[in-house]
Amino acid sequence: MSPTPADGAAPAEGPQPLLRVAGLCKRFGALKVLHGIDLDVHRGEVVVIIGPSGSGKSTLLNCLNFLEPYDEGEVHFDGVLVGYRLDDKGRKRPMSHRAMSELRSEMGMVFQSFNLFPHKTVLQNVIEGPRIVRRQRRKEAIALGQALLDKVGIGDKAHVYPANISGGQQQRAAIARALAMRPRAMLFDEPTSALDPELVGEVLDVMKTLAAEGMTMVVVTHEMGFAREVADRLIVMDHGRIIEVGSAQEIFASPTHPRTAEFLRKVL
Amino acid sequence: MYTWHFDVPWDYRAVFLRGAAVTAEISVGALIIGLTCGLVIGLARLSKRRALSWPAAFFVETFRSTPTIVQLVWIYYALPILTGIQLSAYNAVLLGLGGHTAAYMAEIFRAGVNSIEKGQMRAALAIGMTPYQAMRRIILPQAVRRMVPPFVNEFATLVKLTSLASVLAVPEILHEANNLIASTYRPMEIYSTVALCFALIVFPMIYAASILEKLWRKDR
Ligand SMILES: Nc1ncnc2c1ncn2[C@@H]1O[C@H](COP(=O)(O)OP(=O)(O)O)[C@@H](O)[C@H]1O
Ligand SMILES: [Mg+2]
Repeated sequence: MSPTPADGAAPAEGPQPLLRVAGLCKRFGALKVLHGIDLDVHRGEVVVIIGPSGSGKSTLLNCLNFLEPYDEGEVHFDGVLVGYRLDDKGRKRPMSHRAMSELRSEMGMVFQSFNLFPHKTVLQNVIEGPRIVRRQRRKEAIALGQALLDKVGIGDKAHVYPANISGGQQQRAAIARALAMRPRAMLFDEPTSALDPELVGEVLDVMKTLAAEGMTMVVVTHEMGFAREVADRLIVMDHGRIIEVGSAQEIFASPTHPRTAEFLRKVL
Repeated sequence: MYTWHFDVPWDYRAVFLRGAAVTAEISVGALIIGLTCGLVIGLARLSKRRALSWPAAFFVETFRSTPTIVQLVWIYYALPILTGIQLSAYNAVLLGLGGHTAAYMAEIFRAGVNSIEKGQMRAALAIGMTPYQAMRRIILPQAVRRMVPPFVNEFATLVKLTSLASVLAVPEILHEANNLIASTYRPMEIYSTVALCFALIVFPMIYAASILEKLWRKDR
């Protein structure tokens, strides 16, 4: 099932971006965190977002699937306005839980802190969404879940509780959990930042495989090697604004914004 | 030197049994009211909607900040004046202690839910669960495990509070005991037996909780 636009209009013809962010603003009380973000992500594209801590990268990602409600501007996923529906007079109303759930299940999200469900085994974590949200039959869900665990290389950990596997394995389980919803895009928020250095590679490898398979991805990361190798487009954020967009090669070689240069000096 | 005469309570064992049964009955009844209403009130207090959270907070703080004995007496004597509804002494006690337990259970639920990392709710929502599904499948099952120790405390308190029902002449165990003392003049033996009865009611709950905690520790 693919969501239809809230206003009932058919999606525009042509290569419309999968994700369209326009004029996005977000406040936490008096603190303005996002100042009018514009960003299109096309199908199959890998967009990597970098920038100093506190620049609003996580907030932006959270607005994409409405884990954070945004104040101004719009986010469209495949032509559907995220988080709101428009009433007869064109005013924004909160989206129904059902519609919201449907939208979110099409965007997988991977968190810095994994956020696996500790009271469920790895396999139970993975089949939870298909079972509860998609109402898939148990047998099918388990078959898919086991296949995904095999794919991310932890098939043998299916019946183990998250507390008993390594951080790298936990994050790969979390990726499998997101993939189990068969999402059309994946959002990663610093997926390797909480990992011991020797475990970073195994998670990045899974992400590279996904990218190679054509998954649409938005990745916040400090792994510049990953950005260079995988990103179709690199985005630099600073103080709630996008200050630079381009290929990783371009930006690493010759940053145009002084704040980009300053940031890159610290991380490269 | 005092000579104990435990043959006296033994001779009246039927009376103790009868009283203990009433005590257990009130405890379980108030516990069921307290658990169900407490869950609802606790979740209401967590709600972002003030129309839900404020009445819930009012309910909880009213019960927490007034003496239980006053609550019971008030429900029995004042409620009929205000509403015209006259409850039996037994039902007044059930309602009062049920409300009391609900207030404390609500706080236990709320604290339990708040103690779960925010990332759990976010992860559940991110895979497409509704807030209700996330609460039921992800948050509450984890929260309940953390709620068992304070829950057992509250149950023990509740069982002991049932003795307040004697002021409304409900024939629970303390009321029966006081009558016995008046006729046998054996307060020491009788109060000792009452203490033992209370312990026997509370202990199975403590024991069951410890088994539960052991079970849950194993599957981690
Ligand atoms: N829930 C929140 N409440 C208040 N302020 C927040 C909240 N989340 C983030 N912020 C603030 O918003 C800014 C951007 O945060 P964030 O998006 O997490 O940045 P980044 O992910 O780039 O480090 C920071 O100043 C942070 O303190
Ligand atoms: Mg962040």
